Amino acid sequence: MERYVDGEAEAFEFLYRRVSPNLMGYLLRLTRNRERAEDLLQITFSKVHRARGSFLRGAPVLPWILAIARRSFLDERRSAHVRTEDLSPDGSLPEQQNEERPLPTEISDALEVALDRLPENYREAIVLTKITGLSVAEAASVLGATETAVKLRVHRGYTQLRKELEQYSRTP
Amino acid sequence: MSMPKPDPLADLPWPKPEAPGEAVSAKICGACTKNLCAKRGLSALSRFTLCIAASSLVASVGYWFGVRHGRSELGVRTGVYSAVGWALLQAAVLFIGFAPRRGPLGSRGVRLALAVLVPVLFIGYLTYAAWSYVPFEEFRQGPRAWHAIGCGLVALGFGAIVGGSVLLAWRGTNPVTPRLSGTLAGFVGGIGGALAVGIGCPSHEAWHLWTAHGLIVLALGLMGFVAGRRLLSP
Repeated sequence: MERYVDGEAEAFEFLYRRVSPNLMGYLLRLTRNRERAEDLLQITFSKVHRARGSFLRGAPVLPWILAIARRSFLDERRSAHVRTEDLSPDGSLPEQQNEERPLPTEISDALEVALDRLPENYREAIVLTKITGLSVAEAASVLGATETAVKLRVHRGYTQLRKELEQYSRTP
Repeated sequence: MSMPKPDPLADLPWPKPEAPGEAVSAKICGACTKNLCAKRGLSALSRFTLCIAASSLVASVGYWFGVRHGRSELGVRTGVYSAVGWALLQAAVLFIGFAPRRGPLGSRGVRLALAVLVPVLFIGYLTYAAWSYVPFEEFRQGPRAWHAIGCGLVALGFGAIVGGSVLLAWRGTNPVTPRLSGTLAGFVGGIGGALAVGIGCPSHEAWHLWTAHGLIVLALGLMGFVAGRRLLSP
């Protein structure tokens, strides 16, 4: 990050390769939509680029970028007062889809479904610590919470995940 | 010796991080490396020093004003001592509210508690420092009200200088709690302005202190809340 701040283009590319998969995974689970996640990824990196001078040297980079991504997501969600829908080519709103999601066939799919069903604060804590690979302290700094609160969210989320996965394993 | 607890989530097949699409990556890398130049920011210590310097500057102006307008030596000295005492609290608020920290001190809860405690403490201090009291009906008419308005406007100006310096010094550094930290910046500015005016202001009347010195802190806290998201968030 510091070499990037000093103006080295290769350093940015290295940083991007290191950070973008984790960031994309996080944004995908926040938005549940690949296009929105990629839009937010661009917004996040443009903010990182503009704010690179205000990055406090020595501070951990990934939590800082994740916090910017989270803030961008929250700002975007706040500004979209109403639920957004993609219009069909003829300009009409799509029909309401009431059909149930198909039952997952693999444990990994079941885990994705169970993650989607978690309350947002539990999901975020689990995604940051288990998928993005942050420590509890780093996740706490991204979420603006105490480490105890993050541990509690992870634990409660885990209990809920287990229940969901047990139901999946009982299904024939 | 206790064994480390096994991770109860370790056995689950967690999804792997996913790389973004090639086109998006190329677009981002292109935009962020085009005409890339060095952009060195200030260290946390330099930002902190700038804020203290702005606060000291307005306190010096308050001191100069007090001396020039013949305020008693005891009054000026009391004002300076209280400004120095509150400067310690301002420094603590800056340290907790702005410097990137891990652990409980960096949490939103602590900043929220500070945002409630600081104005309550300051209004409590003003109440304690008030030596005289006139009924509000009497206060709001005549020269007392005009004096309070004058003092309040000067305190607002001083406070805006200090609060604005804090916001600008820490600009773009806080993606986690920008509004809360903005509120704290407003309080730091408000207290700095109120105390600077307090060095030169001879009034120890309760309504004067609450309105001209105390309300300013709340008003600047509110302004900081509004400006925080725009200025402190990257």
